[in-house]
Amino acid sequence: MVAAYRPKNLKDALEAIIYTEYIVLAGGTDLMVKKKQGAGLLPAFDKPVLFIADLEELKQINEKEGYLTIGAACSFSSLIDNPLIPALYKQVFLQIASPAVRNIATIGGNICNSSPAGDSLPLLYALDASIIIENSCRRIEIPIADFITGPGRNMLTSSELVTAIKLPVLHFDYVVYKKVSARKSTALSKVSFVAMAKLKDSRLEDVRIAFGSVAPTIVRSRDVEEAIIYNSSNGSLDKTEIISYYTTLIKPIDDQRSTAFYRRQVCKRLLVDFLGNWLC
Amino acid sequence: MNKDISTPVKRADVSEKLMGTACYIGDMELEDMLYAKTLRSSEPRARLVSITYPEMPSGYFVVDKRDVPGKNIIKMILEDQPFFAEDVVNYIGEPIALIVGKDKAVLRELIAKTSIEYERLKPVFSIEEGLEADTPIYGECNYFAEYRLKKGNLKEARSRAKYICEETYETGYQEQFYLEPQGVIAEYKDGKAVIYGSIQCPYYVKNAVIECLGFAPEMVRIVQATTGGAFGGKEDYPSLLAGQAACAAIKANKPVCLLLERNEDIEVTTKRHPSRIKLKSYIDENYKLTGMEADIVLDAGAYAGLSGVVLQRAMFAAAGVYNIENLKVKGKAIATNKAVSGAFRGFGSPQAFFAIEMHMEHAAKTLGIDPLAFKLRNILKQGDKSTTGGIFREKILLSEMVDRVIQMSGYEEKKKLKNANEYKRRGIGLSMFFHGCGFTGNGERDHIKGRARLVKNEEDHIEILIANVEMGQGAQTTMRKIAAAALDIELNKVFFQNPDTDRVPDSGPTVASRTTVIVGKLVYDAAMELKTKWETGKRQEAEVQYQYPEGYQWDNDSFEGDAYTCYSWGVNAVEVEVDPITLESEIKGVWAVYDIGKSIDDRLVRGQIDGGIVQGLGYAGMEVMENRQGRFIQRSSTDYIIPTAKDIPMIQSELMCEPYSDGPFGAKGLGELTFVGSPIAYALAMEDALEMRINNIPVRPEFLMEVADDDKRN
Repeated sequence: MVAAYRPKNLKDALEAIIYTEYIVLAGGTDLMVKKKQGAGLLPAFDKPVLFIADLEELKQINEKEGYLTIGAACSFSSLIDNPLIPALYKQVFLQIASPAVRNIATIGGNICNSSPAGDSLPLLYALDASIIIENSCRRIEIPIADFITGPGRNMLTSSELVTAIKLPVLHFDYVVYKKVSARKSTALSKVSFVAMAKLKDSRLEDVRIAFGSVAPTIVRSRDVEEAIIYNSSNGSLDKTEIISYYTTLIKPIDDQRSTAFYRRQVCKRLLVDFLGNWLC
Repeated sequence: MNKDISTPVKRADVSEKLMGTACYIGDMELEDMLYAKTLRSSEPRARLVSITYPEMPSGYFVVDKRDVPGKNIIKMILEDQPFFAEDVVNYIGEPIALIVGKDKAVLRELIAKTSIEYERLKPVFSIEEGLEADTPIYGECNYFAEYRLKKGNLKEARSRAKYICEETYETGYQEQFYLEPQGVIAEYKDGKAVIYGSIQCPYYVKNAVIECLGFAPEMVRIVQATTGGAFGGKEDYPSLLAGQAACAAIKANKPVCLLLERNEDIEVTTKRHPSRIKLKSYIDENYKLTGMEADIVLDAGAYAGLSGVVLQRAMFAAAGVYNIENLKVKGKAIATNKAVSGAFRGFGSPQAFFAIEMHMEHAAKTLGIDPLAFKLRNILKQGDKSTTGGIFREKILLSEMVDRVIQMSGYEEKKKLKNANEYKRRGIGLSMFFHGCGFTGNGERDHIKGRARLVKNEEDHIEILIANVEMGQGAQTTMRKIAAAALDIELNKVFFQNPDTDRVPDSGPTVASRTTVIVGKLVYDAAMELKTKWETGKRQEAEVQYQYPEGYQWDNDSFEGDAYTCYSWGVNAVEVEVDPITLESEIKGVWAVYDIGKSIDDRLVRGQIDGGIVQGLGYAGMEVMENRQGRFIQRSSTDYIIPTAKDIPMIQSELMCEPYSDGPFGAKGLGELTFVGSPIAYALAMEDALEMRINNIPVRPEFLMEVADDDKRN
């Protein structure tokens, strides 16, 4: 048995983690599976557990100056139900797991779990989301691509909490989101893909492309995106070249869900389709 | 009770299951009960050199082969599988010992701290390796069963043939994925072993435990606990668990619970046999299928289990619904170092029907003729002979059923319209199939000889005493309806509890739709006997035993005659839409017509239809279980993907009825039949959408992508 602590407020939580190393539990939908021991047994938490799902400070959703700030303990259902969240973001959240899981799984948990198959991550990468990290004396903001350092790994230390996610509210004219998985509900993705294009006077103004489940972390390259924007504006977009750039970044594996070959081909095909349909 | 028996009634078990009050093995806690955890082989094939256990805390102990008081062999068809490994292990997950004690967490720790020294032996992982194994797992040639059957004169058909088509088909593993994992509780009291279990076949378990313990039959009692689904998975495997738990309970002199974890269950219990089927057909100038050669190989896994009988059913179904007068079928069940393949809804026939239906389609396409017309030209009619020369005595409604499915599904228009939209590629497929009801061959007549008993008490309440179980399919409801209707009394005057072998006669296992067709008829006959001698207010009994119906014959040595006394029939259509980018498929429509004779309860029938179709669609398109070096890759509930409600559209189904004269009220088999057709219709729909040939299931987008192979094409 381990100790469990339910802080009254954020301050209380941040103070608690200064002295004691806790396992931080928000929705628990990943943690409870990871720590599962078997029927009739308690999950095997080897450190005390800090429950943060009920902290009001972590459940706020605000929009200010073109940015959405989403509390880390917001469940995906609460995001889906919230009028401030743009429809595109909701479309992504709606394909996560099942309604029961979405009711307790949190966006902060999805980020801190840092799985390459994390369903919200390609979108957050594409939007240049920032992660807000707090400890008892400071608050910092880190781009998500810097925060997540590897599969299941991130920059968070034991005396910090992810308290919020900051996202720009952006408009895109063309949006593709595809989660490729073995069934429509309660499935981990084989590949996920977010691509968005913004046009101005029928010229490409911005493009964002991100791939999930095909490398140790989410694949996104601002350099390639900028090349796409630049080359499309002067009419010299070479799709084969773009694809070959991404091919060097996409390093899928064979596993129990799919094959490296399938994942690579699907990424290419999704990309070709996006570039073909929306950019020409 | 004089309304139509097909009219649905409230299920007998529905309230407790909806309310969550039903008591499963995992809910039962006997006084002083201990738990058992299985020590398993981590090697696919090895000699056990030594096992080093950690020091056992007080109250904890090991149970292994030395603790089997009787025979360390599970009583099944062949005598090859031990309760606890002797000197050799033959698959990853094979049980070596149990560690028993009070606290599950301590048991896990003790298992983790146990080390096993192995001497590796050369393993056999596939059908191909198994056919050529130089160090056989079983016997001299590494197969558990080899059969041949012959009909007519194939030589003549061959010489007359204008066209010859030959192809090979393969099907994969499938896990039953019943809701409740396997489990038993064993108790030893006053020299008697009592087993409570999530089981399909109380008397199979009883016979296995008798041999395991070396006890007299009256000193072994089996009680079925509420059983949360089985699909064949709880036909043979519970015998192993029951024997192990009984040995543990005797050693402990306390009740012992052996309940598998979900992922453990997925990895080590029986699954559907993977198959490789070669078909070579001979077709004359009028497109009549005059002859066929079939070579069926099943991957049986490490021990024989039920593989011989599964193989027989596959072989007898080799010709599908087609009248092929000249036939040669050979079959083998190959030993491999993988978990034992066992019973699963359909029992060999889904593999055979997949092969023949795809074959007919491909043959027609090769010949440049319409597949459906080719199939209809060759279908069975009343009076035709089966693969084993038995006679189809009853009217076969197949062509009417095909017409109806075509009408319901808009098949013809959809065939014409397909791929009108370039972006989403649609396809539709149609399958025809039957299922032989009850045991194959001489099972009922020579082995089971089932008995059923009805007891009427002084209040004129009737209790049904049979060994068949409610496992979600609705047996408690259908059996009560049959008895009540035969006796012409109210349904609530008829009772049916979970069987207890101390109370019920051996009416045989709950398999092969024999519960309704065979045992249901015994219940009906017993009810009619009771009705004749009915004396109000008096305790009375009636017991009947199975009689092989007159006019049928079967020779089990030559495989000649009526392999089944009754057949139920089905036609399915499935429509799919394939995403041209990801090659994922979406099922857009499912249409089904079945002839199951008289429906005993339309709602239960609908439940079986929907469930069977969904399970079949999973088998064909979604449920992937690969094995590499003896280890299953998809071995958790996260990785082994079965369909959810979101993956399947509303299923449109109808019934047609050609009653079986020896079934209760004319009922025929249902449960297995509903599974057989949807995998085929799905595969054909995928073929149609993608304009390719499919010879293997499951059809994975990964496989389709290999075929598409963009890089090569570009």
